[in-house]
Amino acid sequence: MKKLVIVSITAAGLALVLFVQSQAQERVRIVPAGNTPLVPANTVNGPVPKLPDGTVDLTGPWQGGGSNQDIEREGGLKPGELPLLPWAKALRDTRNERDEPYVACLPMSVPRMNPFPWKFVMGYTSKGLTHIYVLHELGDAGAHRVVYLDGRKHPPDLLPTWWGHSIGQLKGNTLVIDTIGYNDKFWFDSRGTPHTEQLHTIERWTRINYGTLVNDFTLDDPGAFSRPVQLKFTANLIRQDLDLMEFICNENNQAGIAGGFQLNNEQR
Amino acid sequence: MRTKLGVLVAGLALFHLTPLVAHHGFDTEYDVKKRVVSLTGVVTKVEWTNPHMHVYIDVTDAGGKVTNWNMEMASPNTVQRQGWGRNTLLPGDKVIFDGFGGKVVESRGALSKIAKAQTPNTPLFVQGGPEAAAQGFPQQ
Repeated sequence: MKKLVIVSITAAGLALVLFVQSQAQERVRIVPAGNTPLVPANTVNGPVPKLPDGTVDLTGPWQGGGSNQDIEREGGLKPGELPLLPWAKALRDTRNERDEPYVACLPMSVPRMNPFPWKFVMGYTSKGLTHIYVLHELGDAGAHRVVYLDGRKHPPDLLPTWWGHSIGQLKGNTLVIDTIGYNDKFWFDSRGTPHTEQLHTIERWTRINYGTLVNDFTLDDPGAFSRPVQLKFTANLIRQDLDLMEFICNENNQAGIAGGFQLNNEQR
Repeated sequence: MRTKLGVLVAGLALFHLTPLVAHHGFDTEYDVKKRVVSLTGVVTKVEWTNPHMHVYIDVTDAGGKVTNWNMEMASPNTVQRQGWGRNTLLPGDKVIFDGFGGKVVESRGALSKIAKAQTPNTPLFVQGGPEAAAQGFPQQ
């Protein structure tokens, strides 16, 4: 009898192991790569969540909400509508995707959003919501973007940087971010759309429901564009059990080798 | 109408076949015409590294020559979200895989599908999904 019990328990244990393995195999099999899961569709139109102090919760994590391949198309314009100056258009048309700084693990900057999770980290101090960090799983290159909400102004004579200098204001469910002080090294997209150090951006991020964040984006760069242009992007809320994961881009970047070229020295 | 439907079907077919190199575009390095179909080999190394994972596979041809393929995947984060763990694929595993060869270095490829040889119809990894479309792969 004792032997029978032992055999039964062993068989049950084995069956459980096999079941778990088969479930794991099934879980691997049925989810295609590249699909960072979003919140269920039937929750998207739910109410906008608020923090205990009544402030709109913009945390996320989100996916999308910016340019990636072609800022003109993704921003809602028709081909040719982006008012690039002739030199900027000529530069865009001669750029090759393999040369983009982002491929060399440099920051993607504003308004680019690769298809990976990112979030607004709302930073409270004794003075309230004084700053928001913008973190991206990929595309920060080890840096971080900070938006100051403490009432400070842009400093004069900014040294150009990858993320520039950002100040923000919350207006209802909208976060308005005003940024200057960008360098001219990043591309808006893999198509190669350029800009200059005169770039000034205004992002208006509005959480319109539980699952959707709209970015009404003003791009003003008299060095590369004939006039300011208004673009619109949409971000979607990622499933709430998921978060940003570690990503160290330069760990083993083999970009270029299969194509017979290496990243050039300026990119390294 | 029929033409539009044909283009749509072709586009969808490619969407599912073309691989993902999430950090950079596919066609700067890999050739959609260099299909790697149902190659069988033995895994020699699995690199869980950023920006992309690489799986190295020894493939022996009919003449006995062994080529060590370097197959590029998505980021470790993407693959983990798909359900992989560190023991999902290990050196010594016999596998069957599809992909696309490098434009210049032909022993490199972009992995589009891989399965254990004993379970070829239950792939461990299938490229595709929204990121593939977003990265400008030749699915249009």
